[in-house]
Amino acid sequence: MSTESPTRSPRKTAASPSGTPTVRRIRRDRMVWLYVVPVSAVFLFVFVGPLIYTAWTALHETTYYQIGKFSGLNSFVRLFSDSDLPSRIWTTLVFSLGALAIALPAGLLSAIVLNNLHRFKRSVRSLFLLPWLMSQATAGTIWLWFLNPNYGPASAITKSLGFGPTDVFSSPTSALVAVTLMTAWWSYPQAMLLFLGALQTIPEELRESLKVDGGGAWHGFVNITLPYLRNTIVSVVVVLLMLYVQMVTIILVTTRGGPIGSTETLSMRVYNQMFDKFDLSGASATAILLFAVNIVLTLVAIRFRRKESL
Amino acid sequence: MSITTPRRQRRLGSFMRAVPAWAYVILSAAVVLPPVAWIVSTSLKTASGTLEFPPRWIPAPFSPEGYVGLLTSTNIRFFVNSLIYAGGSIVLALAICIPAAYVATRYRSRRMETLMTGILVLSMVPAIVVFIALYSMFVKTALINTYPMLIIVYTAIICGQTILFLRNFIENIPVEIEEAAAIDGCSRLQILWRIILPLIRPGIAAVAIFIFVFVWNDFLVGTVLATTEDMKTVQNGIVRYITTGFGSFWGLFAAFIVVAFIPVLSIFLAFQRWFVAGMTSGGVKG
Repeated sequence: MSTESPTRSPRKTAASPSGTPTVRRIRRDRMVWLYVVPVSAVFLFVFVGPLIYTAWTALHETTYYQIGKFSGLNSFVRLFSDSDLPSRIWTTLVFSLGALAIALPAGLLSAIVLNNLHRFKRSVRSLFLLPWLMSQATAGTIWLWFLNPNYGPASAITKSLGFGPTDVFSSPTSALVAVTLMTAWWSYPQAMLLFLGALQTIPEELRESLKVDGGGAWHGFVNITLPYLRNTIVSVVVVLLMLYVQMVTIILVTTRGGPIGSTETLSMRVYNQMFDKFDLSGASATAILLFAVNIVLTLVAIRFRRKESL
Repeated sequence: MSITTPRRQRRLGSFMRAVPAWAYVILSAAVVLPPVAWIVSTSLKTASGTLEFPPRWIPAPFSPEGYVGLLTSTNIRFFVNSLIYAGGSIVLALAICIPAAYVATRYRSRRMETLMTGILVLSMVPAIVVFIALYSMFVKTALINTYPMLIIVYTAIICGQTILFLRNFIENIPVEIEEAAAIDGCSRLQILWRIILPLIRPGIAAVAIFIFVFVWNDFLVGTVLATTEDMKTVQNGIVRYITTGFGSFWGLFAAFIVVAFIPVLSIFLAFQRWFVAGMTSGGVKG
């Protein structure tokens, strides 16, 4: 590891435009890089290496994780000519945007309600945070048990109302709706926490002046809260979308992508191709598509972050 | 006397204004609580009680059956594994992130910023993308199913956020303290160890809590990178009841969920402020 920093530093001093540093200064600056070597090593091992390996396997034929001969862009051709791909992308969109459409307003509303409460604030906050404190696996499985067609209370309610048992995970549409709702249920507290932090930065004078002017709650929300939260809303949207695009756990523990692939988002497709069909190069190609989607979201996040700090 | 009427009016007004808020709170409770209550209720039923239909919300004979049945060596192994992964990740992440966060805050250069942005961008890569590669790279080697391997993977996933959070803490320390120490002849390492470290203790606590909860609640790493039963985590233990369960396993399953949730819940209740701070760090900033 230590051999890495001397090779790096000369380039650094050559590139640095600032003045004429003393020898001692250069030595000290060189030592700075030693502090980031362990982190860089871990990231090379867990992220950079695997990403290169993924690109490599996508360009080769594979049989049971064994890399065969070079096949060029074959796996991508296979990916994009797959008749299932449009429906998987559609599922990913419905899942992500659907969960977002529920979690974003729910998070914002919860934050505003919590911010205006004067009593039982901690208890209410704990209540709102409860789904998110659970693991994704817990959130998925407790709903699975709650919605169980044979023994679950949801089924008892629908049966007593004269409908059949709640067999949500056996029909394609209802399975997708259920998985989306569960994900929104689990993730809205995260939006709430981010909004809560931003709400506390709204100066009290603004609210006071609104009261003097005699504006109502809705007026205050549209004219003060929303403009103040504009940046936060964008960043919450990005954070949540990234979360949904890479969501595997909740889908995996409830439907595994089924029935008939109706809940198979792109991430879930990567998992299934890899561990169900043992198709490494196919999974890698899908993973790279997923990675590209993620890069776009990341760029938005970074661009936005710069803007916010300015 | 004349003051009381407006005051009473105001009190009534604030009461009226609180009504929609409390209506929302009740509505959320109706959405959040039923599955939770159902799990707690199931965990206290007898095996046959869990299969009653229509279901009973309050277990007719209360029974600790589910909790007693949890004490199998497999289940204990799951808990021990999760503790090892969480403990190891906390130690490793702090050991590598504190120095990095320190130099990234105090020795700013374009290269350093590029490196930090790179780390942040990489830590946003979907986990499943790197997991399939990690799995296929290591499935044939001795690295799969080892504690160090999983600890390093957990650490890498939370590193970006940890560094970001620690940087905010270090930024708030006045540079003058460090300059004074440097004049007194402290080396950089000594400054980090003797001055920075004690000052960012609250930040370290928040980060440790965040890492513990993250590792404890993670399902995917244990699923993909631990292929044998004896290396799996608590979350795998929960799902195992459903995927491999036969007969009446719902009582055990519910009890397992309750027990697995207790550490996170007690940490949350004990350290609410730090907990929330650690969890939201990095969220807004990217």
